[in-house]
Amino acid sequence: MPKWNDLQEQSFLESDARARAVGLVDEGTYTELAGPFDRFYSPHLEVLGEAVEFDDGIVTAVGKIGKTPVFVISQEGRFIGGSVGEVGGAKMVNTIRLAIEFHDKLVADYPNISDEEKPVVVISFETGGVRLHESNAGLLAHAEVMDQLQKARHKVPVITLIGSKVGCFGGMGFVAAATDAIVMSEFGRLGLTGPEVIEQEMGKEEFDSSDRALVFRTTGGRHKYIMGDCNVLVQNMIGAFRDAVAKLAVLPVSEFEKMRRIGSPEAVERQLRAVALAAEMQPQDARDVWAKAGNPDPVALTDIPLDEFLADVKRLSV
Amino acid sequence: MSTNSTEKKWDRRSADTAERLEAASRYIGPGKQFKPEDTVALLEAVIRAGDRVNIEGNNQKQADFLAECLNKVDKSRIHDLHMVQSAVPLPVHLDLFENGIAKKLDFAFGGPQAGRVAKFISEGKLELGAIHTYLELFGRYFLDLTPKVSLICAYKADRQGNLYTGFNTEDTPTIVEATKFRQGIVIAQVNEIVDTLPRVDIPADWIDGVVQSPKPFFIEPLFTRDPALVTESQILLAMLCLKGIYAEYEVKRINHGIGFLTSAIELLLPTYGEELGLKGKACTHMILNPHPTMIPAIESGWVDTIHCFGGELGMEKYVAARPDVFFTGPDGTLRSNRAYAQTAGHYALDMFIGGTLQIDKYGNSSTATASRVAGFGGAPNMGCDAKGRRHVTDSWLKVGKEMPTLDRQIGNMPRGKRLVVQGVETFGEGRAPVFVEELDAWKLAENAKLDLPPVMIYGDDLTHVVTEEGIAYLNRCADIEARMAAIRAVAGYTEIGLKANPDETRQLREAGIVKTPEDLGVDRSRANRSLLAARNIRDLVSWSGGLYNPPARFRNW
Repeated sequence: MPKWNDLQEQSFLESDARARAVGLVDEGTYTELAGPFDRFYSPHLEVLGEAVEFDDGIVTAVGKIGKTPVFVISQEGRFIGGSVGEVGGAKMVNTIRLAIEFHDKLVADYPNISDEEKPVVVISFETGGVRLHESNAGLLAHAEVMDQLQKARHKVPVITLIGSKVGCFGGMGFVAAATDAIVMSEFGRLGLTGPEVIEQEMGKEEFDSSDRALVFRTTGGRHKYIMGDCNVLVQNMIGAFRDAVAKLAVLPVSEFEKMRRIGSPEAVERQLRAVALAAEMQPQDARDVWAKAGNPDPVALTDIPLDEFLADVKRLSV
Repeated sequence: MSTNSTEKKWDRRSADTAERLEAASRYIGPGKQFKPEDTVALLEAVIRAGDRVNIEGNNQKQADFLAECLNKVDKSRIHDLHMVQSAVPLPVHLDLFENGIAKKLDFAFGGPQAGRVAKFISEGKLELGAIHTYLELFGRYFLDLTPKVSLICAYKADRQGNLYTGFNTEDTPTIVEATKFRQGIVIAQVNEIVDTLPRVDIPADWIDGVVQSPKPFFIEPLFTRDPALVTESQILLAMLCLKGIYAEYEVKRINHGIGFLTSAIELLLPTYGEELGLKGKACTHMILNPHPTMIPAIESGWVDTIHCFGGELGMEKYVAARPDVFFTGPDGTLRSNRAYAQTAGHYALDMFIGGTLQIDKYGNSSTATASRVAGFGGAPNMGCDAKGRRHVTDSWLKVGKEMPTLDRQIGNMPRGKRLVVQGVETFGEGRAPVFVEELDAWKLAENAKLDLPPVMIYGDDLTHVVTEEGIAYLNRCADIEARMAAIRAVAGYTEIGLKANPDETRQLREAGIVKTPEDLGVDRSRANRSLLAARNIRDLVSWSGGLYNPPARFRNW
């Protein structure tokens, strides 16, 4: 197990799923749920003669930040691209379910419990979506996670973290968008169809996936922050993500409603206005939208240091 | 003085050139300019069947438009060309052979076309002269392989036809000098034609034609290694190199190859290197392209001087802002020069360190295999002990003193030796063993009917091999038997390595000929990415104060 103190300064981008999970909660509070020693791994991969992992490429755990119980789900991109199959999906679903049940029991036993003592769920995404080897099981898992997100609503805030190599794509892009708050680093990427898939389907003229600068200014953390798809943009350190979660965890659950992208007529109205704006201005590049948001020098936004970016940037409001 | 008709003529070459230029004159306007659409016709006017032709192209800057046009000439008139050029990295270079325009090739570096070169050789489409080192080929430009026509590229021309080659000057001066001063013809493609050049790199009267190409020439960011891809194994190797070689010999003047091992070393200088107290004692003078991974070491004050073979995309502003370190012109921009950098590499360096694809049991190594003719570029010039060297440095003398056999060759005369280091993981790309009984180069020699297998670095030039098992100090070996034993000892689980005898290895370790990480006091558990001064391209941009502008494909933010 990595040392907690070392993890705080460690690059979130380069950290594996377990290091992220351990470092996100307070020192000494980490307990893994359905860990590798329990040997829950995909039966489908085994049938296909593929390598398995004893945690099925996903770490689930419970710990605390301050007084807040934190249920952690952390995906491992180095195992089949962080793809979601039957077992990994079940681990996600049941971790959220556990948090909800824990919440309900706490509130029943202690009616005067404070907001910061109520549990939250943190999901560190690193995934391309459904695991093709077990497609239907993986798709079902997506639906079940969405179901749990609905059940958690108004009770247990679900916080998304994106800053790992693979990013968050495919069906899991939908799942992330349906959570209450999204925290990203500038190396994080969020989207539905991955860049390579767009290029393959629509051609290099439509989207050149080898142009990483283009990919990042279309799906990356800085862009998502300007667009409002990301609520908090942080430095690329596990400690920085942890601090962001700590700040969010103490908020009353009603505050999270304001951060959501979907789930209310107002939020839907806002999304529709963004679509109408896109149809009207026909942007050729993300930078056109950044300029529209009121940034006089959109080209410079990519490279300036993050603290300057956060201080100066104008975010799109529709 | 005789004036009769039997008088020997001494100006046949210039007369021939004048005749060709006369035929081309209707395309060439003021300032030697001609139109892109006339290029094919112009080439047909100045090139004849059987000519020796150079197309500028090294591993970075490419006269790609002229190369494409040469493919379109009438092959019934122009054929059997003998191409003499640094590199053949573009498909069009080899299309010339497929199209029956060119017949013979002398070159130094194949790059991405390596597989196709091998195929053409075995199919008889291409007659191979030799795989040269850059300096060797440049040398032959001035002796027996002088081009008749050279097709070069530059960034800018002015209205008179002067050229600005700037940051990526690279091979241009050498090609032009060899061609023009032997009464040949030089045609240049440029990205733009301007009123005033930042500086004149090639004077107009050495140029016969200038064309603004329809699009800027292709340039490859070949020396950018993303720190995010440096592995822990490479970091371990880099630690071994720093402790067991850089610190041991205090080597100041070094060439780094383009691999990830040397990138790892560069990124460890401000961390592990500083911890070893090497700042100011090692890596003060370097011959290398402007590697972005050098930025942290430069910023930390490690480096006095860097001379460059060529440029590197995105490093323009950074290099211009560090004129104390790089060779920049009065206009403030870098001027690289492949020939001068190679000369410095051959005669002024104390150490070459790089990797290879295969090392045989004797220590000979090559990157050329039966199916790939990649060429060597400059590695053999830097990876050898230059016999002409007469100046001393401490590290050079130390390697010489450690050699137990010098007295058997030159008696009691002191003499130094260049450090030639190869750092490899015992299993390389595609899990192929690096250490082999016999180099694939032998099969290639057979296929291509070469008189000798293309060896990159000969075993007797090699002084050190570094693997994850440790360092073999081959310079301390008395004979070939001892060298082979030392190589076996660090060859890991390859067939060669499995032949190592534990007793023999123990003796070699006791004699200081082989050193494991433990012998060197290198803690394997510290070999992780937190030791890198920059862990991704973004960190390099930050180190540079925003001056480094990485190409789009390296930007992950």
